[in-house]
Amino acid sequence: MTEVIKVDHLNYQYEAQKELNEMALKDVSFTINKGEWVAIIGHNGSGKSTLSKNINGLLAPKSGEITVDGLVLSTETVWDIRRKIGIVFQNPDNQFVGATVEDDVAFGLENNGIERKEMQERVRDALERVDMWQFAAKEPARLSGGQKQRVAIAGIVALRPEVIILDESTSMLDPEGRDEVLSLIHQLKDERGLTIISITHDINEAASADKIMVMDGGQLVKQGTPAEIFALGEQLVDMGLDVPYPERLKAALKKRHFDIPDDYMTEEGMVDWLWQLNSTK
Amino acid sequence: MAIKFNEVAFTYQKGTPFESQALHDINLEIEDGSFTAIVGHTGSGKSTLLQHLNGLLKPTEGEIQIGEQIITPETPNKALNNLRKQVGIVFQFPEAQLFEETVIKDVAFAPKNFGKTESEAEAIAAKMLQLVGLPESIYQQSPFDLSGGQMRRVAIAGILAMEPKILVLDEPTAGLDPRGRVDMMAMFEELHREQNLTIILVTHQMDDVANYADHAIIMSKGTIIKSGTPRAVFSEPDFLLNNHLNVPTTTLFSKKLTEKGFSFANMPLTEAELADDLVALLSRKGGHDANE
Repeated sequence: MTEVIKVDHLNYQYEAQKELNEMALKDVSFTINKGEWVAIIGHNGSGKSTLSKNINGLLAPKSGEITVDGLVLSTETVWDIRRKIGIVFQNPDNQFVGATVEDDVAFGLENNGIERKEMQERVRDALERVDMWQFAAKEPARLSGGQKQRVAIAGIVALRPEVIILDESTSMLDPEGRDEVLSLIHQLKDERGLTIISITHDINEAASADKIMVMDGGQLVKQGTPAEIFALGEQLVDMGLDVPYPERLKAALKKRHFDIPDDYMTEEGMVDWLWQLNSTK
Repeated sequence: MAIKFNEVAFTYQKGTPFESQALHDINLEIEDGSFTAIVGHTGSGKSTLLQHLNGLLKPTEGEIQIGEQIITPETPNKALNNLRKQVGIVFQFPEAQLFEETVIKDVAFAPKNFGKTESEAEAIAAKMLQLVGLPESIYQQSPFDLSGGQMRRVAIAGILAMEPKILVLDEPTAGLDPRGRVDMMAMFEELHREQNLTIILVTHQMDDVANYADHAIIMSKGTIIKSGTPRAVFSEPDFLLNNHLNVPTTTLFSKKLTEKGFSFANMPLTEAELADDLVALLSRKGGHDANE
């Protein structure tokens, strides 16, 4: 497997932290492979967003090295690296610049000096991929939250990045909008082999990932598959995530002195386990 | 204060080519001191309904009674001023409306505007900040230096400072992390219990409806399609699921169990209820510790 992101002994300090001798990121190291979906979780202030801003060069590390698709991040490579990474932010209303959906998607391409004919093709292709082409001439303000985030994603897709970072991009959406965006990301990952980094508090979004990384106090404290991480049960709340339902029910049953295995169970797994028990004479 | 809607309808831009009906045939009653949840999709009319509660909109048909006041399409706007003090609405992402230099000044703004002196207003503000659980050490800070959850609490204190009888909350936990959501809901529960505030909560979180509300109103396409206790409303999960609405996580899980042959006297709404039922069902079968 090809490495697309490598973070090596990364440290970051905000200006205001200097006097207090605090760090926002402390000795963070990890790699992400091409085509992987990685969820980063952690409570507010744990360093998740600081990490994503370091990866695309919005913030400059105090020390350590970041490599994206073979390029070591520096003042010389930062523009090339930003072309490889698109970020979808939390608030769908804060990321529109165009008067129409189409203009908005074209904005990034124009900035990158893409020739007009190719630009038109890419805009159409991107909007078709997110199923928003029929809204091309509409004002972004008229769209629902889920539709706005899909347009924001189209703007990124049009630039053909290697990596998409979702920075709490579904947290302001209603359940339907959230499903819309997540199923779109699944589809883009499968079709294009995109690498996805999602910073999230949403248990369903985290469950979609191949790997979950847990941040706390600026450090990467745990890594594992969703099953490994979800088995932590109640501790997940301190990591800024909800407790998965089967774990909540297990805790309630244990409180009632009911014997139940400690291994992580999916909802289906738990339904089957209870059903087996119910069928035993 | 109790609220009653009688055959209420609302049409935006009535009498113009752009007119569109947002609410129709709304009949509802909200008792004084109750905790009511309103659920429905984006665009189902929830926000339009909310805006009727403090006179931001007037019905285009029908009649609304809030406390002693009756509102009809003919009610002059001036007569609605009083309502604004009695019904406090916390809109979505209320922290976006903070503007003062310090936390205390921001919260004191409304009472000062309603005629209190500076020191009276600040005394009210301090009381409200305490109610929303913010420490005195932040009173003189800029609200913009606080965390998202704290900023939202400041904004809510600003609404409480008008000393409303009814508190309307439009998705108050959206965008907060799970710990922040739990803390915020616990705060509303406390305000409801200890300050005897009537609470109206608009939410997509069915688990919150099951855990906190005593009355649930389900809206779709501009009208109420179901109303009752959470127990009654969630007793037929298929009705909600067919309308593309969620049910509490426990109810959905219990539904899967019933499909596998389990049966429950009442559809469980919370994990505590389900755990009680499962222990009773499975112990009787002798499937666990009885034999072990």
